[in-house]
Amino acid sequence: MNKTEYDYIIEIENVSKTFTGGVEAVRDFSAKIRRQQVVVIMGPSGSGKSTLLRCLNGLETPDNGAIVVDGIPLDDDKHHRLEIRKEVGMVFQSFNLFPHLTVLENVNLAQMRVRKKDKAAATQRSTELLQMVGIADKVNAYPAQLSGGQQQRVAIARALAMAPKVMLFDEPTSALDPEMINEVLDVMKVLARSGMTMVVVTHEMGFAREVSDWVIFMDGGQIVETGTPECIFTNPQEERTQRFLSQIL
Amino acid sequence: MKRRAIFRSPWKDIAQFALLIIVAVWLLSLSTARLGYYWQWYRIPRYLFRVVDGRLVAGELIEGLLFTFKISGVSLVLALALGLATALLRLSDSFMGRILTRLYLEVIRNTPLVVQIYLVYFVIGPILGLGRFASAVMALSLFEGSYISEIFRAGIVSLHKGQWEATYSLGLSRFDTYRDVILPQAIRRILPPLTGEVISLIKNTSLVSLVALSDLALQARVVAADTFLTFEVWFTTAVIYLAITVPLSVAVHALEKRFKVLT
Repeated sequence: MNKTEYDYIIEIENVSKTFTGGVEAVRDFSAKIRRQQVVVIMGPSGSGKSTLLRCLNGLETPDNGAIVVDGIPLDDDKHHRLEIRKEVGMVFQSFNLFPHLTVLENVNLAQMRVRKKDKAAATQRSTELLQMVGIADKVNAYPAQLSGGQQQRVAIARALAMAPKVMLFDEPTSALDPEMINEVLDVMKVLARSGMTMVVVTHEMGFAREVSDWVIFMDGGQIVETGTPECIFTNPQEERTQRFLSQIL
Repeated sequence: MKRRAIFRSPWKDIAQFALLIIVAVWLLSLSTARLGYYWQWYRIPRYLFRVVDGRLVAGELIEGLLFTFKISGVSLVLALALGLATALLRLSDSFMGRILTRLYLEVIRNTPLVVQIYLVYFVIGPILGLGRFASAVMALSLFEGSYISEIFRAGIVSLHKGQWEATYSLGLSRFDTYRDVILPQAIRRILPPLTGEVISLIKNTSLVSLVALSDLALQARVVAADTFLTFEVWFTTAVIYLAITVPLSVAVHALEKRFKVLT
């Protein structure tokens, strides 16, 4: 099958992950994610959603099961892993910007080192992206001089600079003050509407309702319920989902 | 509540310091009087500088100081390189690398430097065909490298793991990760302890006089033996060492303050 015509961009098959100490974070999890889909993973804390997300780009190595990203198996092969790392962007809860580099240098770095672009080309692309996320006037600031919301938007631009095929978001708004959550969600909505494939771990119901194609509700490392946002939010079938939704609404 | 004045009169500090000096000088004169010591400070300057044929020439003590600078500089460069390599190897995935570096650290850190200098000079030096200077540099670099590697390692592991995860998810190689992200941040953090280690290196070079290298300490010993100006020579030598290490020490404090503000 031609790689570019591959229907599912991420295939997760029977993935399990137990941490040393015996905590079973993900249990026999299977799912398939289509191109240009926005998938939201929800669930109570400790339900394994972040661990699952981190398995998708190899930050965590599953004990069992298989993950295939864009036709490339995520296995021990270094080249496979590198290919997947390049094609999968990630945004973290704690932003993880490089504090000793300016905003522009943060966004330029991987373009120059990994994509081997020269500085001018990288800067041009970075400037476009920073404009898109609304940080164009702060390109020479250092991360510590920015608010949390601004830092997270720079982090999104930094991940996008690699022109990834998939973007993973690990609770991107959980560390933010309430008034800054929307500025980050707005950027993510623009991204979702532009056709980016996104897997988002979040508690933001508004975001899930508005832009997601598919919601996975997890508990105890397993899928409890999955469906379109309308199904999950207006008519949840499982008692566990109902209980969770009633708590966070 | 009334705020306490932050401003202190400097006169009080100066008076205390002056009193301390007076007491110290008094005690010293008391002890030398008991020994019947005859101070001859006027004979010291010619061992620092002397005028030969109308030109200023370095005396024995300044020559020793220059040598101390030379051996400290060479050893420092090698110790930094060795320290960084050891730290990286110890943090690597290589099992052999971790074992070897562990062995190196345990051996070096648990034996006295004097013993190491002798061992390198008498045993390893001849095997490798190293001269006296090279042997001393090797011993000092091996010794300081082990301490510097622990400083590097501490600086590297003190960084948030999110920095590693960010570079991983951007596809950066391990080399680029260290060069562009990890080391620039780690070095800022370890600059104060690293400068402390430089001071310690300079002090430790005095031990190379044991293998007859004419550093400041050996020159002082020779001059003292020649002239019987024991007190004057060793006081002068101590002041010379202080003149190098105190400014470094002050610089460390300034750095510590600055980085505390930044982080």
